[in-house]
Amino acid sequence: MTDPTDYEILLNTLDKAENGPIIDEKEWDHQYISQTVQELVQKYDISWATDDPMVPWDDDFADRVYAAGLEMALRTGVYCLDTKRQMLWKRGELEHILKRTPRQVTVGAGEDAVTVYSRKPDDSTRVAIFGGPWGVPVTEELYGPFIESYAQEPVFDLVENATLLSTHGRQIRAASPWEAVAGWQEAQMALEAIERAGRPDIAVGCVEISTTEVGELAGSTYGGYRPTDIHHAALISEQKTAYHQLIKSVHFAHTQSFSETYFNPMYGGYVGGGPGVAIAIVSGMLLVKASLGGTFCNTGPTHVHLDCSTHPDLIVATGLAFQGLARNTDLLVSPFVRPTAGPGTKEIFYESAALTIATVVSGASLIDCVQSATGNNTLYSSPLEARFCGELSHSVEGMTRKEADPIVKKLVNKYKSIQGERLIGKPFTEVYDLESLQPTPDWLDLYESVCEEFDQEFGLSVN
Amino acid sequence: MSDWESKQKQFIKDILAGDEEAAVSMARTSLEEGATPVEFFENCIAPSLQDVGKRFETLDIFLPEMVTAADTVEKVNSEVIKPAVAESQAGESMSLGKVLLATVQGDLHDIGKNMVGLMLKVNGFEVVDLGTNVPPADIVARAEQEQVDIIGMSALLTTCLPYMKDVCDFLEGKGIRDKYPVIIGGAATHPEIAEEMGANTHGGSAAEGVEKCKMLLGKL
Ligand code: B12
Repeated sequence: MTDPTDYEILLNTLDKAENGPIIDEKEWDHQYISQTVQELVQKYDISWATDDPMVPWDDDFADRVYAAGLEMALRTGVYCLDTKRQMLWKRGELEHILKRTPRQVTVGAGEDAVTVYSRKPDDSTRVAIFGGPWGVPVTEELYGPFIESYAQEPVFDLVENATLLSTHGRQIRAASPWEAVAGWQEAQMALEAIERAGRPDIAVGCVEISTTEVGELAGSTYGGYRPTDIHHAALISEQKTAYHQLIKSVHFAHTQSFSETYFNPMYGGYVGGGPGVAIAIVSGMLLVKASLGGTFCNTGPTHVHLDCSTHPDLIVATGLAFQGLARNTDLLVSPFVRPTAGPGTKEIFYESAALTIATVVSGASLIDCVQSATGNNTLYSSPLEARFCGELSHSVEGMTRKEADPIVKKLVNKYKSIQGERLIGKPFTEVYDLESLQPTPDWLDLYESVCEEFDQEFGLSVN
Repeated sequence: MSDWESKQKQFIKDILAGDEEAAVSMARTSLEEGATPVEFFENCIAPSLQDVGKRFETLDIFLPEMVTAADTVEKVNSEVIKPAVAESQAGESMSLGKVLLATVQGDLHDIGKNMVGLMLKVNGFEVVDLGTNVPPADIVARAEQEQVDIIGMSALLTTCLPYMKDVCDFLEGKGIRDKYPVIIGGAATHPEIAEEMGANTHGGSAAEGVEKCKMLLGKL
């Protein structure tokens, strides 16, 4: 059992889902979310123009974004889809939760343990790297080698899973016994893969196939995923939750498991454009912590048409929100690097680098990389782009926001006009040798040429 | 500028601002001045809504504005256009058809489905949105209850695709498969999946969804 205070917080959260005011979902989206965000954008004067800095370094601006996000979190709270009720936190309650967040956490175990630190903007503290195929669909046969190819990368401190397309040759059906079978199989295959890679105790992101709580409960029972792994639950856009996410958080508390909870506000959706997304990220990170707990809090704001988190406005919004959070809390936050481009293209490096640099210098604790080609295309992901992000992250530790700004601007200029083309590139099977689990010479050459370009153009030594 | 052009310009401003009073009053005045409800629909409502859809595609406007515009037009339709059509006994419905939309069981992703719903609305369809995580039996029951013309389903998770097939199987089992053209979409789907699930067609985007729905009902 967790310490009573944490457990009390959990029970109080569950109470809120049963006792809050009843609200119609449409009213939630319009009045509670959309109108509040619009009002706060005005009230706190959150805006930027195209030629303004892409990595702002104005602390007052970052604090205004934080204040707007905090007000949003306190005024709106979270909507529970199952009970149709609004879950509200008082300022004191939220402050208490934030005060209890540790400034550093060690995940994984033994030789594979790694410490993740709370960071400030312009900070030289080490950033942790969470590499993996991040839910990209993959066939059963390739699941093991796919995960192994990531786990063997020394630059990854934690490793994330892919989405299994079938289980024992059968279709996986959400919330059915097959989700339980798949949750268990995923755990088995992932743990075998890290063992083969020689990193048996590295923290693994899980349970990826857990559409509902069924996969999580099945995959992290005795013999499956461990409390030292990183379990996931999500706040649903915008600021909603559901019983099956809350059930997961109860399970994390009882098993004392580490977790990374996440929230993806939609750019162009109910929170509007960049300034609204910045406020929504702050609000969402505070509320995901309050409603689902979370050792780490992650955000992958999503462009409604492009599905990516690397649109120029999202780079600014995420950086600003992270600065606000880092300056005012000790939350361990991570960005979700989700480019439109995929393996085998240069653009995947540019897109990933822009968001990575902007967030490392803005105070991110952990970099979740890379959900290649927006994460929707079967097998379109490879460890090399995530290796690049990891190495790049370390090379910009200690860089200031002001120094980062011109680099990020140049990178964005390299891809912004062709993002709409969705250069998804090539699948893992074409950019990696399946025997050696190493990149093909062509893919490695491209990576090396981009490393060279970063060295020449920005003075950054990536590999 | 023709009379209709200037009216449409004002109409689009009103619906984007959610000014129901102004939009309803313009429709009323036009009809009083002699326009038929069909003329008002074709010259004012339809082009305005198409424009709203296009503006959202380029993100000149965001989702809430599109919802506001669609809701305002619904008000104009229910308060002015529909009663006028009924009165004139033209018997002609302004609606292109009624589409049921749902994100299937297990899946909570609704942004794409909501966008499809709005694009259908702004293009003249009626939409019955059942929300997310909807079991197959409920989809079939509501389709019957609401007498819809098309069943549209969304899934972003591969683990939820089997529920789409269930819907087609249930329809088949009840002997009513031919009554309901089925369209599917969402990031976990593509045209071959549509075939596997037993659906009639697939929409890769909200705009394509609208075109495909028109095709399914022979309105293109
Ligand atoms: C936002 C998001 C979430 C949000 C959803 C919020 C919400 N209210 O919808 C949250 C955080 C809740 C979430 C949760 C999860 N997610 Co998610 N999510 C995404 C993300 C980043 C974007 C989806 C999105 O909204 N895109 C924008 C919309 C507009 O696009 P769209 O839905 O495809 O719709 C367009 C078209 O497809 C089409 N369309 C859509 N529906 C229909 C229907 C018809 C009839 C027609 C004609 C057309 C059509 O028109 C739309 C407009 O053009 C995607 C990755 C990505 N980049 O796409 C992952 C993704 C879909 N999620 C994924 C996963 C794994 C999950 C979780 C299981 C993670 C976990 N382990 O906890 C949970 C599941 C929760 C649940 N039970 O549903 C995977 C799915 C993998 C797979 N193939 O199965 C993806 C691909 C990411 C990944 N690689 O991990 N997610």
